[in-house]
Amino acid sequence: MTSERLVLTRSRAWDVARSAHRAVSWTRVGIVAGAYVLCLVAFAAFAAWRGANPLTLIPTMLQSSLLEPSALAQTLLRAVPIGFAALAVAVPARAGLVNVGGEGQLIIGAVAGAGVGIAVGAHVPGVVGVLLTVTAGTLAGGLWAAISGMLKVAFGAAESVTTLLMNFIANDIMLFLIYQPWKDPNGSGQPQSRPLAASIRLQPLLGTGVTLAVVLLVVVTVGLWFVIRRTGWGFALRVVGGNPMAAMRNGLPTRRLSLSAMTVGGALAGLGGVLNLIGVEGQLRPDLTATFGYVGFLACFLGRNDPIRVALAAILFSAIALSGNGMQISEGLDGSIVNVLLGAIVLTMLTVGRRTKEALT
Amino acid sequence: MSAPNDSRAEPHDTPALEVRDLVKTFGPVRANDGISFTVMPGEVHALLGENGAGKSTLVKSLYGVHRPDSGEILRDGKVQHLDSPSVARRSGIGMVFQDMRLIPALSVWENIALHLESTSGVLRPRQLRALIAETSERYGLATHPLRKVEHLSIGEWQRVELVKVLLGGLRLLILDEPTSVLTPQEVAGLFAMVRRLTAEGVAVIIITHKLREVRQIADRVTVLRGGRTVLMNASPHALTDAELITAMVGEPVETLQRAVTPPVTGAHALVRLNGVSVRRPDGDWGLRDLDLEIRPGEILGVAGLAGSGQNELADLLVGADGIADGEVVVDGEAVALPDPVRMRRAGIVGVAPDPVRQFVVPGMTVAEHTALWNSAGMFAFDVRHADADLRRRDAMAELRVVASSRRMDRLSGGNIQRALLTLALTSDARVVVASYPTRGLDVLTTERTRTLLRRLSEAGAAVVLISEDLDELLALSDRVAVLAVGRLAGILPGGTADRNTIGELMTGVEAA
Ligand SMILES: Nc1ncnc2c1ncn2[C@@H]1O[C@H](COP(=O)(O)OP(=O)(O)OP(=O)(O)O)[C@@H](O)[C@H]1O
Ligand SMILES: [Mg+2]
Repeated sequence: MTSERLVLTRSRAWDVARSAHRAVSWTRVGIVAGAYVLCLVAFAAFAAWRGANPLTLIPTMLQSSLLEPSALAQTLLRAVPIGFAALAVAVPARAGLVNVGGEGQLIIGAVAGAGVGIAVGAHVPGVVGVLLTVTAGTLAGGLWAAISGMLKVAFGAAESVTTLLMNFIANDIMLFLIYQPWKDPNGSGQPQSRPLAASIRLQPLLGTGVTLAVVLLVVVTVGLWFVIRRTGWGFALRVVGGNPMAAMRNGLPTRRLSLSAMTVGGALAGLGGVLNLIGVEGQLRPDLTATFGYVGFLACFLGRNDPIRVALAAILFSAIALSGNGMQISEGLDGSIVNVLLGAIVLTMLTVGRRTKEALT
Repeated sequence: MSAPNDSRAEPHDTPALEVRDLVKTFGPVRANDGISFTVMPGEVHALLGENGAGKSTLVKSLYGVHRPDSGEILRDGKVQHLDSPSVARRSGIGMVFQDMRLIPALSVWENIALHLESTSGVLRPRQLRALIAETSERYGLATHPLRKVEHLSIGEWQRVELVKVLLGGLRLLILDEPTSVLTPQEVAGLFAMVRRLTAEGVAVIIITHKLREVRQIADRVTVLRGGRTVLMNASPHALTDAELITAMVGEPVETLQRAVTPPVTGAHALVRLNGVSVRRPDGDWGLRDLDLEIRPGEILGVAGLAGSGQNELADLLVGADGIADGEVVVDGEAVALPDPVRMRRAGIVGVAPDPVRQFVVPGMTVAEHTALWNSAGMFAFDVRHADADLRRRDAMAELRVVASSRRMDRLSGGNIQRALLTLALTSDARVVVASYPTRGLDVLTTERTRTLLRRLSEAGAAVVLISEDLDELLALSDRVAVLAVGRLAGILPGGTADRNTIGELMTGVEAA
């Protein structure tokens, strides 16, 4: 017996020594940082080839996205729909679900918000109006995604496909509404909805240029980080996402968990959509979301499903998009050239971002 | 390249494989710490060692999965750099992994085709299926090329892996614990195949924890302990079991003797199956019309050929599977299944038949698995106290579970099994459904696990022991239920049951 104990202690010490090997790998940090720099250099070279001055290029881009206060505010405002759309991918991803429907959920959130906002108009105090609008948008986004969730748990329909299809349906619904019943009579024939009452619009906070929407993005991001790491729901989602069979054997309600993850994801995007409506747009119009949903999907990929990193990636993508404005003005280039940078980052991270897999046949 | 030089005369003097001072570390873990051994052509070389000794790591280096930190690998006398599995495959090395890697959603032949794409040119499906059939025939490996892998038993799954490997021009075959998932009949089939290969001059490395198998098949053995070679290129015939075990463990181990227990009389059944039938996902009957009583204080052994309904029985008892017909009565009350929570609350826990698929959650630590286990369907996961709980359990079970901060999916097969057993055998269960509990365990841990099972039953728990190891069943069981194609072929009292009767019942010779 004593000798058996000895073996026990020996293997303990052995294991403890081994488990120390979980710290940050600085080589990996170096590789990732290097990859970003490389992307920038490659992009600068490309822009120079298109006629830009590579030396003023980066300062111009920074100026028009981050360094000037008003530019920074714009970047943060635009990060709201992208960021919420990205979080809408991150939550279902925990449960192993692929939500490609951020775009449609943003739209449907904005549509529901616009419907409620137009209906209540200035009849209620501003705070109540905003609350009603935001709630409607959030619920609508959640329900919209829940449709795909139901199709998944009831019939096993691939959520990656159904969420994508629902994007087109959401867009058609919005187009129908702004061409027909909700059309703005004063819009000089433009397809757009009637504008929301000023009392429902979000105002810039203390002259900073950013609205409550940005604060909300920060709060929700941190909240989600906590929920995913510290609550039973977050833990259970990881189990379902990692091994549904083990989840079932441990008595977890796998279907309800999948459905809830999808619904919460959709609600987040719906919230982003309605915040963008009342914070920036003020009325529905075609191309309202300008592919924020898909950019959000990429941001989620870049942030590896971790809420905080996902939100930071959303801000980065937003900044890149806006830096195009500066290039258009000072370098005389088409602003969409920054998509090259965005694409380069995503592609590079696709290749270097993954941990090298040791044990593959 | 050059003609063999006279002083080295016979080609048989050159080892097919020579490993010199191989070192492989994972961070601070020295999984292989200077290993040397040689394998001759046409030889079966057994690698032995405790769980975590570094056997799988070693053979993964030989197959190009791992890059060793230092040391040399020589093939036919020449240094070789195996940078990836495809390089290894092209140079005639084949390997069947401990945790097999087929794609469940594809059919057998598609899985094999995927493997071949990377080695040679594209083959037409019909040609390939003919080739598979021919290879299967030649080495006596029965496979169904058109079936989906997810519907296969583990034994069939492994035969597919073997066919996959054999289709390349093989010079060195590596088998990592192939027998731990096989029935005795399947082991015999595997060994017959190995002998055919060695007769053709192929060198075979086999990892196993079973000394009986070493004696049956191995020409030489090498024993690893803590990442080092403690016994190199020895002849197993020159060594006793005790000597081999001492080399592996560093100390002698006593084997469990059959305990004589009084027959259980009149005990009230905890679980009763009345005419239960279960359908498999593929539509066949998994269990048919089964009547069975599970009584406290008794070890009920379950024997049968692979796929005779053992796994369905295990799944049923832990509430993971529903029934098509009949009733399952727990504590005198019929229960609606599937309902894992209900069964767990009734005090029924299981050692899953296939832990990698049914227990391990990728990315989660051992502590998180402990918290998940403890939640028992209550939706409260106490990760914070999981480490303390695991230590408490480990002190009871003494199965030497790994540190709770380790990621479960990165553990060796044996260490996963130990973690699962540590949880399952210390849960104050009234019924323990132990499927293949000693699978993949080293000698010491196997004995410890058997002792624990026996103790649980002595303390009044009901143990359902599902095993493909007849010796294990006979040594532990109070009664042995024999399943044949999903039906109960007979129940024998453990003390008087003998291998032949069980064998006849399993194959349905008597059951007409
Ligand atoms: N990829 C890895 N990363 C970190 N540690 C690893 C890795 N692979 C193996 N190890 C560790 O190296 C040690 C040796 O593991 P290995 O799988 O080689 O053992 P083994 O002898 O095959 O054991 P078993 O009999 O249980 O299969 C173990 O402690 C294991 O946890
Ligand atoms: Mg191993």
